[in-house]
Amino acid sequence: MATTASLTLASADIAGDPVSVSKTATLTKAGTINDLDQSTGLNRVHLRSTTNKTLLTANTEGNDLAAKVYIINKATDSSLYVTVTINAQTVGKLYAGNFMFIPWSQTDTAAAIEVAATNWTSSTGDIPVEYALFHEDTDFLTNA
Amino acid sequence: MATTIASLNITSTDLLSDALSLSAIATLTNAGSATGVTQTTGLARKKTESTSLYILYDRSALSMPAASAHKIYIKNLSTTAAEFVTITVAGEELGRLYAGDWAFFPWSAHDDANDISITPSVSSALTIEHMLFFES
Repeated sequence: MATTASLTLASADIAGDPVSVSKTATLTKAGTINDLDQSTGLNRVHLRSTTNKTLLTANTEGNDLAAKVYIINKATDSSLYVTVTINAQTVGKLYAGNFMFIPWSQTDTAAAIEVAATNWTSSTGDIPVEYALFHEDTDFLTNA
Repeated sequence: MATTIASLNITSTDLLSDALSLSAIATLTNAGSATGVTQTTGLARKKTESTSLYILYDRSALSMPAASAHKIYIKNLSTTAAEFVTITVAGEELGRLYAGDWAFFPWSAHDDANDISITPSVSSALTIEHMLFFES
């Protein structure tokens, strides 16, 4: 089994010479060359709240195991963003079309990944967010 | 205005009973606009030789707007499967990058304490690469 994640960062004009970074990682279990073998699949939620909603609930059994999280803001209005937090610490804002791909430690049950449609109003419409988790043996619940 | 494109592909032929093929393309823009980010640190390389905390991006030393659309890339170049670096944001553990793993994520940089740091798992030589795209 092998799941790969490839990232390309490219720009012809952000610097004096072109930027071209292309990397591929094979998703493996912690500290081994054995492939990750579980996934939540691709989920989709529509956010309509400025308060944090739990996207992925941390499970302490997952501490010290390997887990990778993919999140994308599928909004098309460039002003709409979602704020991503872990254990109440803001990681960053995903604006329309932006994505992130990170390892996730789940150091304790407080290390949930939460999202908020921070500048949502009833007139902006929902902010669709898609996400997937790739992980080792442990259970996960989602309740966004 | 610069144009910077980030592309992601996650694929697997055997993780699920059907093939997985997930793709995303994002143009890196300033917060809430269609204007491309114009600043980057360039691709940097850091060799670590202790299990101490290393600050990759010291928020207080960077001249950049807070709570914007900055993006960070980090890769662990180790080829030893057990070697990892732990990424922290303002002291909060994000996750572990094992050998060959990379991460790409937004950074709010909302205050001076909001540093991006790594802590290697080994005191032997370990190399990472990293890059920041940010607003001016």
